[in-house]
Amino acid sequence: MLETEELTKVFKSKAAVDGVSLYLDKGESVGLLGPNGAGKSTTISMISTLSKPTTGDVRLDGRSVVKDPGKMRKVLGVVPQEIALYEDLSAYENLQFFGRIYGLSGSRLEQAIQQALELVGLKERQKEIVKTYSGGMQRRINIAAAMMHEPELIIMDEPTVGIDPQSRSHILEMVRQLNKEKGLTVLYTSHYMEEVERLCDRVYIMDHGTIIASGTKDELKSILSGEETIWIELDRPYPELFAELAAHPEIVQAAETEKGIKLIIPKGKRILGSIFQSAERHQAQILNVNVQTPTLEDVFLHLTGRKLRD
Amino acid sequence: MTSVFLLQWQRFRRAPLMVLSFLALTIVFVMVMAGSNPGNSMTVPTYAHPALAEQQQDEWLEQLNKSEGLQFELVEEQEARQAVLDGDTGMALQLMEDDYRLLIVADDPNRFEVESYINRTYAEELRIRQLEQQSTSGEARERVAEMLEEPALTVETQSLEGEQESFVYDGQLQMLFGMALFFSIYTIMFSLMKIVEEKKFGTWNRLILSPLDKWQVYMGHLLYSFTIGYVQIVLVLVLFKYLFNFDVGDQFGLLLLITAVYTFSIVALSMLVMGLVQSPQQLQAVVPIVATGMAMIGGAFWPIELVTNNMLLAISKVLPITYGLDALKSVAIHGRGLTELMEPIAVMLLIGVVCMGIGINLMERKR
Ligand SMILES: Nc1ncnc2c1ncn2[C@@H]1O[C@H](COP(=O)(O)OP(=O)(O)OP(=O)(O)O)[C@@H](O)[C@H]1O
Ligand SMILES: [Mg+2]
Repeated sequence: MLETEELTKVFKSKAAVDGVSLYLDKGESVGLLGPNGAGKSTTISMISTLSKPTTGDVRLDGRSVVKDPGKMRKVLGVVPQEIALYEDLSAYENLQFFGRIYGLSGSRLEQAIQQALELVGLKERQKEIVKTYSGGMQRRINIAAAMMHEPELIIMDEPTVGIDPQSRSHILEMVRQLNKEKGLTVLYTSHYMEEVERLCDRVYIMDHGTIIASGTKDELKSILSGEETIWIELDRPYPELFAELAAHPEIVQAAETEKGIKLIIPKGKRILGSIFQSAERHQAQILNVNVQTPTLEDVFLHLTGRKLRD
Repeated sequence: MTSVFLLQWQRFRRAPLMVLSFLALTIVFVMVMAGSNPGNSMTVPTYAHPALAEQQQDEWLEQLNKSEGLQFELVEEQEARQAVLDGDTGMALQLMEDDYRLLIVADDPNRFEVESYINRTYAEELRIRQLEQQSTSGEARERVAEMLEEPALTVETQSLEGEQESFVYDGQLQMLFGMALFFSIYTIMFSLMKIVEEKKFGTWNRLILSPLDKWQVYMGHLLYSFTIGYVQIVLVLVLFKYLFNFDVGDQFGLLLLITAVYTFSIVALSMLVMGLVQSPQQLQAVVPIVATGMAMIGGAFWPIELVTNNMLLAISKVLPITYGLDALKSVAIHGRGLTELMEPIAVMLLIGVVCMGIGINLMERKR
């Protein structure tokens, strides 16, 4: 349905997006994953015809949308990363307006508003001013506003940033439903691995403006098939212990987490003994040890040597 | 376009306070400032020659104060001279039995007007006195008054230079038009700022992605700013004409036309400002500076005729408010007609078109 070809965007000689090629099939749910500043939003703004690529092309059903954005705009719904609503109006009035500019009116408009409100679960509070909503509710209306014209393709740019867990799971469930039950094609951007793991069939991992890996979840994880992850929970941070483990020849990768240390090691290596010895030496108190098969988070760590979020 | 336009009214209904306060400020300012010096505000300090009898002095004052445009106020000689020296007043008058002396600051723009008025008054009065002395009936004064009311012959005078017609200072109208045009700049600029806000908060992108054309979005905003600015000025004019009985002449329709052209040019100029300054925070600071600056130089606070600095005069030539005020005053005070207003109207339209073109271009370029 949609494909990009070597998309590149240069801002003042710095390439924010550098040769990104990706595709979405109809009905697919695809994740675009990357840390802050990876170039996700820039990629999306080019796909959605809001900005022109420096070089490269975006095609919808084989036709370039750079030259003719009209067709894309008709089928596309965009949920922007920043909340883009009229804060001084009610949720109802916002949706009413965004429906009107798509040519809806009368009972069709009313129906579309109520449907969208239902979708995001804010029917009861539709008359309240957006400014008075919680962050999560604003995010939900932000999504509803993109759904008014029943798009076939929806692009969501980090729709769950900075909101409460309840709103977050509501949104995730909603997106899943839209994709699985209504057959919407979804491009979902996030830097939360769990979300992408839960929602998306395929994933593109982006860093520094380029795609560093892509494939289905399993394909990506198979990058790490020969490895496993060990979580060591500690009572407090032990920088020396971490330094020692990071320098350990058998350990592929070490990262400090909130609760302790995370290690990626080759599968089948018997390494736990030496880890315990190190901990002993540094008088670190181990609260818990957990050995896991890899997640997408680990894939990212493996590919970039960095964590997705700090 | 209509939906964008209507949306702005919806938003206005939610937060009408700012616009309403500009409207209220206009009314308050005009009432306070114009109310304190009804009609005219030119006062000439006047003092008597030591040899002049008090009764004669009062007679002269009475004669002189019959005019509507000037007020002669009796003060001590010392005081009058000091006022002229200090620049508090452009001139001072000394009364004598059958003559006068006028102390004038060289560049006072009103000096010819005032002097010719005093001269006329003296000449007439002296002639009547002469007549009184010659006639026996003692009714000469009444007869002259009668004949003046129904003259056998009226002579219309026209100035050769046309534009340089006598300067009539009407403080009331100056205040009314000045404040109405001045405060409307605020309303228009702050209303148009919604475009900048849309760009900042991202709703602009939603509009661009919709089937609306970009020009429809701009038009919706421009039309809203125009309407709200226009309604504000017209409300003020109507209020003072009908409720406070300001004499704005008998061509109200023409005043409305000038107001519309002026409003258009200010909307366009605001667009230019938005194109130059693209953050709402900066605009909060820039708008008052631009509005006040234009109003000062363009003659909204005091008549442009009082300005002598060449640079300021040159700047005033590119400000729509200069032409708007000039046109309004010439209709209301001098009763000029449409043909004579072609120039200011054309200039305002020209300024408008140029500013609009550059403004939208700048706005588009920055994106
Ligand atoms: N208009 C712009 N002018 C200059 N640089 C820009 C512009 N927009 C984005 N950038 C730069 O391009 C890079 C990619 O930005 P982008 O917003 O696409 O990242 P992102 O992946 O969406 O990050 P985040 O997770 O923080 O939203 C960043 O380094 C950013 O500073
Ligand atoms: Mg982003």
